Amino acid sequence: MSTKVLLSTLFAGLLATAAVEAKEHSGKGYIEKNGYKGPETCEVCHAGTAKQFLKTVHWTHASKVDNVENIDPKQEYGMKNRIYTMCNGNDIVNNLKEIPKAPDAKATKFSGCNSCHPGNHLSDVGSTGPAAEAAIDCLVCHSQDYDFSKRAPYKDDQGNVIIGQDRSTKAALSIAKPTVKNCMTCHEAAGGGVYVKRGFAFTAENDVHAAKGMVCVDCHKADKHRIPTGFDPNNWAHDGLRLSCTDCHTEKPHKEEAYNRHTARIACQTCHVTRTGGSFAKDFTVWEKLSNGYYEPTTLRREANETVPVYAWYNKTVANRPDFIGPKGDRKDSKSRIYPFKIFQGKGYFNKKDGQLLAMDFAPPMSTGNTLAGVTSAANIMGIKDYEPVPGWQTVYFGSNHLVTKAKALTCNNCHAPNGVLNFQNLGYSAEEINKLTNPEVYFEYMAKKQREEW
Amino acid sequence: MKKAVSVVMALALLTMSIISFSGVASAEEVKLIGVIEKIEIKSPKEAVVTLKDNKTGKNVVITVTDDLTLDKFKDKRIKDGDEIRCKYDNEGGKNTSKLFRKTAGC
Repeated sequence: MSTKVLLSTLFAGLLATAAVEAKEHSGKGYIEKNGYKGPETCEVCHAGTAKQFLKTVHWTHASKVDNVENIDPKQEYGMKNRIYTMCNGNDIVNNLKEIPKAPDAKATKFSGCNSCHPGNHLSDVGSTGPAAEAAIDCLVCHSQDYDFSKRAPYKDDQGNVIIGQDRSTKAALSIAKPTVKNCMTCHEAAGGGVYVKRGFAFTAENDVHAAKGMVCVDCHKADKHRIPTGFDPNNWAHDGLRLSCTDCHTEKPHKEEAYNRHTARIACQTCHVTRTGGSFAKDFTVWEKLSNGYYEPTTLRREANETVPVYAWYNKTVANRPDFIGPKGDRKDSKSRIYPFKIFQGKGYFNKKDGQLLAMDFAPPMSTGNTLAGVTSAANIMGIKDYEPVPGWQTVYFGSNHLVTKAKALTCNNCHAPNGVLNFQNLGYSAEEINKLTNPEVYFEYMAKKQREEW
Repeated sequence: MKKAVSVVMALALLTMSIISFSGVASAEEVKLIGVIEKIEIKSPKEAVVTLKDNKTGKNVVITVTDDLTLDKFKDKRIKDGDEIRCKYDNEGGKNTSKLFRKTAGC
């Protein structure tokens, strides 16, 4: 082996060692010596972090919302209190509880919207103070060796429903930046099953960022535990930090100027997120009986990456009516761009008296299939007395911001063709404009040149 | 002679067709929802899971090889007693998982 090769190998080895050391949690020695006692252990080095975390949406499940119509800008909204037909309940009416045993079931079960909340349920959504700070499950997001069988609901001696946590020293010794697993453990299970709500798998096969080894928090880069989010029309609560493709990419990211000309009015996602997935329709008025004796809302679903999105103008403000939650925007509005969305339609009960969607407490229908009993229970919890439930449908547009592809991105002929991906008529173009936009003349010369260069 | 060659060719074609079609039939994709009776981690790259089919009540043994699901077994995000929605191929008499998901969510 030459001296040059030997030195290079040694240098590479040193770099690798440094990298491994840099990743190791600096508090490892302290935890080995003292064991792990929950947030008080973390606070030894990260003083004030627990208090800080209690102010984030991960803990409050709500925030003030300034881009959605027909809501009070002074109030906070989120899964704590929202009602829409993907979930038809919220943390208030579906607070984690023991569901009455179904006649054919072997045992009772626990269910609730806040079952993923990173507290212990005694200190629940939006709670504050020393007990709440001590209840934070830091490791569920930060441990790489968490035993998830311990994170299960149970009843204590006083009959309180508690969510267990893995506070073992073993789990604490593998603290690191959250991986995809840490995030997806909760986020993939929303809406009643794996990939039901959002319908995306952040895996190398499905997403170009995952294929490059990136993890969720590389884009959703936290600042004091506040997580930046995009402008999904159905994801209202936010930590005051926003996220966009241009945080990493430029406004003109393509080598081809022809593509760069599109970015002013076409969102990156339109060409680079060509599929969506998950549930596309759900009926909360009729629940299906499962083999375990319990019932669940009738849910139609597709796998991640199996559904074609729809496209609409979106200026990042949201139309919010009982029958529709979705993007506002228009071709004439210079702030609007064309974005892809997953369309979801859900059936629930609406109040004939005021037209508003009624929430449902899942406990009654889950054990008996009686959905109206669920509406009655939710109305009692919320103090609603004047209501008359009538079934109806609501359409919800979900943002399509994951499942990013480079290799399978749309190209000119996908949109610029009759019956192409974009419905130019619905997007506000005239017949004359559509004739021009769907003619190969728009792209032929460019694509022919590119083809010659490639071959 | 010419006739004999034709017969042999026809037979060969028939045999090939039968083999091909039986191959397709044996790799049929099966869907089931069932409860996990047992998870056996055979190696870092393979686990064998026994699911009790909700419809038939019979046990079905399925081999799981995808990393995402194996990791869920390892940290007990998926464990005994969980209800699973599964798709598998039964090629060559071995049931190989193509999709393995918990039915439950929030």
